[in-house]
Amino acid sequence: MSHADDALKNREVWTKANAEYTDRTARQAWAQEEIDWGMFSGPESEIGALGEVGGRDVIELGCGTAYFGAWLARRGARVTGVDVTPAQLETARRMQEEFDLHFPLIEASAEEVPLPDASFDLAVSEYGASIWCDPDRWIGEAARLLRPGGRLVFLCNSPLSILCAPDEGKVEERLLRPYTDFGRMEWPGEDEGVNYHLPHGEMIRVLGEKGFVVEALHERLAPDSTTDHEYYDFVPAEWARRWPAEEVWVARKSV
Amino acid sequence: MPERASEHAQTNRAYWDRTSDEYQQRHREFIGRPEPRWGVWQIRESELDVLGEIDGKDVLELGCGAAHWSILLAKQGARPVGLDNSARQLEHARERLAEAGVDFPLVHASAEDIPLPDQSFDVVFCDHGGFTFADPYKVVPEAARLLRPGGLLAFSHSSPFVAVCEGEDERVHPALTRDYFGLHEQDHGDVVTYELPYGEWIRLFRSNGFIVEDLIEPRPEPDATSTYWDDEEREWARRWPSESIWKARKAA
Repeated sequence: MSHADDALKNREVWTKANAEYTDRTARQAWAQEEIDWGMFSGPESEIGALGEVGGRDVIELGCGTAYFGAWLARRGARVTGVDVTPAQLETARRMQEEFDLHFPLIEASAEEVPLPDASFDLAVSEYGASIWCDPDRWIGEAARLLRPGGRLVFLCNSPLSILCAPDEGKVEERLLRPYTDFGRMEWPGEDEGVNYHLPHGEMIRVLGEKGFVVEALHERLAPDSTTDHEYYDFVPAEWARRWPAEEVWVARKSV
Repeated sequence: MPERASEHAQTNRAYWDRTSDEYQQRHREFIGRPEPRWGVWQIRESELDVLGEIDGKDVLELGCGAAHWSILLAKQGARPVGLDNSARQLEHARERLAEAGVDFPLVHASAEDIPLPDQSFDVVFCDHGGFTFADPYKVVPEAARLLRPGGLLAFSHSSPFVAVCEGEDERVHPALTRDYFGLHEQDHGDVVTYELPYGEWIRLFRSNGFIVEDLIEPRPEPDATSTYWDDEEREWARRWPSESIWKARKAA
């Protein structure tokens, strides 16, 4: 399968997810004041991955309905959102009208972004390019798009959760698949797309190769109060309270 | 040992003094081979290239045991210093040095509190030594103090996943048995070991002025054998990361 075929498949997955979940929940996500990360809503106020965003040029790679970008725009960032799924961007545009909060939205794969070099201070991805694109390509694109000293911040599934993930069904409390499955992963379920997951060592290596210095890896547990996510339910909350299901990487483009 | 030595440093000193003879007898042949090798599966340094060119460099080994590693580095032109918390381990080291016909300082101290001057090394390293049996929150700052600007910190350690998957039989299994966080200090009764989550290692390096350079997660060959892990555990290590080799560079 080529990268273009994968992107088409992932677009199908997200067109369906948009119809089932993300469109009807977009308003609530946009209306939220706090910035938080992932399935279990890790608060940015606690994680502190983004730094100051006011006045910064920010690109969101795989923005979906662009609620994350909206949170940053509301704090004074100049945001551009990139996504490969037209349905998601349609929802994002509708929210922009509703909330009267406008910023550019571009239909493109984060593996090939039609924007000039060195034009952003911050690149973010919350389960966007960070799991749906080839790290070798999208991290390279992030490096190209960022100015020297710019920051890359992204959330992805933890390697441990992927090792405990069966082909279909929920994450279990035991290691099920070997590390050698990592890299490009095509899940067999009918609603599944193509993901990329890397061991920590590989992620550090790719970031280094693309010119980034690793600043932090925030491995997150779900808070005690968490219940299973209503839609992204493949990680039981009980699991995520004992082992990190998601993690936020922070890296800085070398000056 | 200085009076300020922590309780766990004393526990671990007694443990290693007591078990050193048996340890050396069991593992000596396996870890004493004629080229530098890393960890449970003794994977060649020439394959992993962790330390880089070592000739002419001042090198400190934290938890050197019988100093197999430092002896080999001395033969490659390094100026090693071997540090260990156990006097008995250092007696074994002295015998090995004499056999090898090399000479370098051996220091009897915990890696948490090292009686050596600031900025006196180009490389601080260990292979399942000082970062396992001493508290990383004390050892990493010591390494930062001892390294010259641009110096390399490199060490192997069991992966956090091993601690999560260790059963009551002290062997690894596929089942996740222990929570991921809270494994920092593990009291096994006679010995205390240390483990940090991946992200916490990174935070600790960064807060001590290190740049994270690499994390190597070595994988044993299908027919690899070890005096530390059995064949069933090798199958675990073939499937999941059992060891971490961290490389961090002190900012120039």
